Amino acid sequence: MSNAPAEELQTQEIDLTAANQVIDKFLTLPGNLMPVLQGIQEEYGYVPKPTIDLVAERLNVYPSQIYGVLTFYAQFHLKPRGKFIIRVCVGTACHVQGAERIVETFFDKLHIGHAETTPDLRFTFEKVACLGACGMAPLAMVNDDTFGKMTVQKVEEIVADYGQRPMK
Amino acid sequence: MVNLTIDDKKVTVPKDATIYDAAKSAGIRIPILCHDKKLHPFGGCRMCLVEVEQMKGRLIPACTTPVTEGMIVKTTTPEIINARKLVLELLLLKHPVDCPVCDAAGDCDLQNLTYEYKVNTNQFTDEKFNHKIDYENPLIERDMNRCIHCGKCARICDEIVSFGAYTFINRGIEAKMGTEFDGPLNCEFCGSCVSVCPVGALVSRPFKFKARWWSLNKVKSVCSYCGTGCQLTLGVKGNKVLTTVYDENQGFHNGQLCTRGRFGYQFVNSDKRLSTPLVRKNGRLEPATWDEALAAVAEGLKSAGSDAVAGLVSPRLTNEELYLARKLFKDVLGSNNLDHSAGYAHSALSHGAMESLGFAASPSTVTDIQKSDLLLVVKTDAYETHPVLGFEINLGVKRKGVDLRVISDKKGKLSRLPKAKTYVYKPGNEILLVNALAKVIVDNNLTDPSAMGVAGLEEYNKSLEGYSPAQAAEVCGIAAEEIIGLATDYAKADKALILLPLGLGYPGHDKALAQALINLALVAGKIGKEGSGVLIMGEKNNSQGAVDMGVYPAGNGKGATDIIASCAAGATKALYVVGENPVVSYPNRKKVADALDKVGFLVVQDLFLTETAEKAHVVLPACSFAEKDGTFTSVGRMVQRVRKAIKPIGASRSDFDILNELSSRLGGASFADSSQVFVEIAREVAGYNGLTYDKLGDEGALVPVAVKGRFVPVAASPVKAEAGKYALVTGSALYHCGTMSRFGQGPMHVCPEGYAEFSREDAAVLKIQDNDLVKLTSAGAEINLKAKVNMRMPKGVVFAPYHFGEESINNITDGSPVTWVAVSK
Ligand code: SF4
Ligand code: SF4
Ligand code: SF4
Ligand code: FES
Ligand code: FES
Repeated sequence: MSNAPAEELQTQEIDLTAANQVIDKFLTLPGNLMPVLQGIQEEYGYVPKPTIDLVAERLNVYPSQIYGVLTFYAQFHLKPRGKFIIRVCVGTACHVQGAERIVETFFDKLHIGHAETTPDLRFTFEKVACLGACGMAPLAMVNDDTFGKMTVQKVEEIVADYGQRPMK
Repeated sequence: MVNLTIDDKKVTVPKDATIYDAAKSAGIRIPILCHDKKLHPFGGCRMCLVEVEQMKGRLIPACTTPVTEGMIVKTTTPEIINARKLVLELLLLKHPVDCPVCDAAGDCDLQNLTYEYKVNTNQFTDEKFNHKIDYENPLIERDMNRCIHCGKCARICDEIVSFGAYTFINRGIEAKMGTEFDGPLNCEFCGSCVSVCPVGALVSRPFKFKARWWSLNKVKSVCSYCGTGCQLTLGVKGNKVLTTVYDENQGFHNGQLCTRGRFGYQFVNSDKRLSTPLVRKNGRLEPATWDEALAAVAEGLKSAGSDAVAGLVSPRLTNEELYLARKLFKDVLGSNNLDHSAGYAHSALSHGAMESLGFAASPSTVTDIQKSDLLLVVKTDAYETHPVLGFEINLGVKRKGVDLRVISDKKGKLSRLPKAKTYVYKPGNEILLVNALAKVIVDNNLTDPSAMGVAGLEEYNKSLEGYSPAQAAEVCGIAAEEIIGLATDYAKADKALILLPLGLGYPGHDKALAQALINLALVAGKIGKEGSGVLIMGEKNNSQGAVDMGVYPAGNGKGATDIIASCAAGATKALYVVGENPVVSYPNRKKVADALDKVGFLVVQDLFLTETAEKAHVVLPACSFAEKDGTFTSVGRMVQRVRKAIKPIGASRSDFDILNELSSRLGGASFADSSQVFVEIAREVAGYNGLTYDKLGDEGALVPVAVKGRFVPVAASPVKAEAGKYALVTGSALYHCGTMSRFGQGPMHVCPEGYAEFSREDAAVLKIQDNDLVKLTSAGAEINLKAKVNMRMPKGVVFAPYHFGEESINNITDGSPVTWVAVSK
């Protein structure tokens, strides 16, 4: 499934003011790469490519190494993320309780795949490992809201509900 | 020292040695995959596992474990062999094992060790990698399916090259060696990563499917691009140079090369090479026999008469050839009108060092770089002119904590090194700045006692009046405190080395600048100590040799500028150009071209029909360095052997052959071969005394010098800016050297054409972006170049490289250090 608009967004002009401010804050701190990247992600919701080049230049680190760090730690995102992050657990308990069907239904309804974001930047979908609430399997989360005993019906409700919420 | 026992052998090694080093010194081979003597230990592959009596219970990686007193090491027990087999099995599990189509076959550590350890079965099964192969550039193919994750490519690109193209990306089973955004490789293409890759994950594309590694004839020689003097090994088959073969034991640089040396050899077998002599008939260059062409040349040079004949001979030739050229002019034609490199690109050595030190060479050598405490790089980034010396600087700074200071009219790659400090002065004011540094030293009683005994000190001290840091600050645009700080640090450093890169692209005051720097080094007492002094870096592979062989005007002889002028005036009637391309590389293209159009008889001897050769009456096809025996003398005076790897291409003949035959046709001496000339050089040329080809061997030999310094005051006046104009400074593109690199695939991929670099501020004002075509105008002439916008250029300054024939920068330059240009879109 295509994620084209989200990718296009990456190549668009990005206002680097916030990134520069984050860098200013940590500039003299030893080992400042992680806090800078975390700060940037907090500001932009992800780490846009132009900010990587900026960090490389200002902290005098190779862009390749920054990319290595960003892809090593799961906490970082290189693409814009949706306002609502839907996570569906595919851990053992949830798997046994039919998590795969839930996943498929989300794919179907949202027209995106795992780790992808809808073109309108409303939803990002992710499969995740055990969320630690196996009693409620199969389990889904939307941002901090938890949904237990998921069904196909519930998927539709979630998509409809969050699909209407304001984006701001 | 530490004593230990390895495989029952007693070994004594320095205490910072590893078990691997210790074994190696005792002639015991421990297999390695991720270790490289040039790089920081990594300890990732576990191929080098050994057993240590004192650490029983587990196997120890030899490459990362330091030796300790009394250690008892076993390198091949059945357990170790099994462990190594297991390492190999695991690597082979995901590796495609496509050796039949892999260019590394025969030179692959994985293949060789698999064979050695007889790993013909695998107890595991798994899917192979399925990574996309990077075919995006014409030089390096990256097939990460073959990668064994040794990390050497990333380490060399970081530690030595300081480019940092690679890193491990992603996690877990997805982890691989990759680039930023896992994109195609886009770097300097020095090929260092290809050289160290133990398998075929990184291979040279120009060599792909050209020959099996073991079928290559490997010939040791010297790179024919810049003056660094990198040794290289040519991979030859069927009279073709097919590749350069990496040999980690070659030269001070451990086999490292830059993109010119590594990927620039294609000019040798280029189909654009001249294949036959050409003689102008009815206004056109027509093929001719050698006999006809040489008869015409002999007649033409002789009939012009000794005053009216002149020569411009390239420092790309061997010492033997340059010596012959000098002899031909001086002894046979009776002329001193002989020069090279536009007359200025050697003057720092031939005149500057000569007057100030008593010899026309650097008092220091390349191995001083890493031994220094403080490096002062002057005028331009030594990296762009001499990349492998740039590697030495990188290593000095990163490994040995060398304090790097750059004074230049722009920033360069070296400016980005950790803790490096760059002082950007307004173009053309470098001598003024250097004098101000000296003034600080003198005024603050930092003059070294050794300077007291040097001739001319008093006069020199007086000459520094008017160069106070405050005055210099005003002119150079560098704060006075910075100037004082730099001068003080330089003076106080125990060992401080000045690096002065030269080149046709850096016209202006080479001689004066060299002298100002030598004065500075003398007053601070920096000459004559290891890791200290001045390294004047000639541009071409044999720039130092050309000076040593005296290929510049002696007595009343004319230098290059006068030769060109006298061609225009009709006073020079015959001009013999060997390997130089003045039309493109000398300042003021129109003046040079007109002069060459006027001269009655123009002979050009070259590999290619250059812009200059097109104007000739006779064109003689010469040979490349790969077709020659002889010697080059590098920066820092290292004489090294060049060895013939292939037979001359087509009907071409070596410059040696041609000069030798001309000499004998004109009644002069004739030599049997280059070694015979070298015997005479060893007799006649100071410093070369006693050298023989045998003595040079693979290592080469350092020409000794005896410093007899004296102060030669150098005056400098501030360069006046022209209102509304930009200061154009020219120079070398990192990937090119002279005009020959235009026939090398590597340099032409990375930098195919000229460009003009602007600061971001100027670009914003001029509303230009990368790749916009901009027009530079000066004195009525104009050229159009693509723009590059970046952070390294200061406001008001434009940089453009000189190598290219189209829209060549010498259309608008006239040999001054700064050209004031108007810029428009
Ligand atoms: S070619 Fe040179 S610059 Fe490019 S990745 Fe390899 S080592 Fe680095
Ligand atoms: S590409 Fe080659 S050098 Fe780089 S990690 Fe892989 S095997 Fe090692
Ligand atoms: S061009 Fe210079 S630095 Fe590059 S490989 Fe050749 S001699 Fe070495
Ligand atoms: S397996 Fe899904 S919450 Fe534990
Ligand atoms: S060679 Fe020692 S761990 Fe790789």
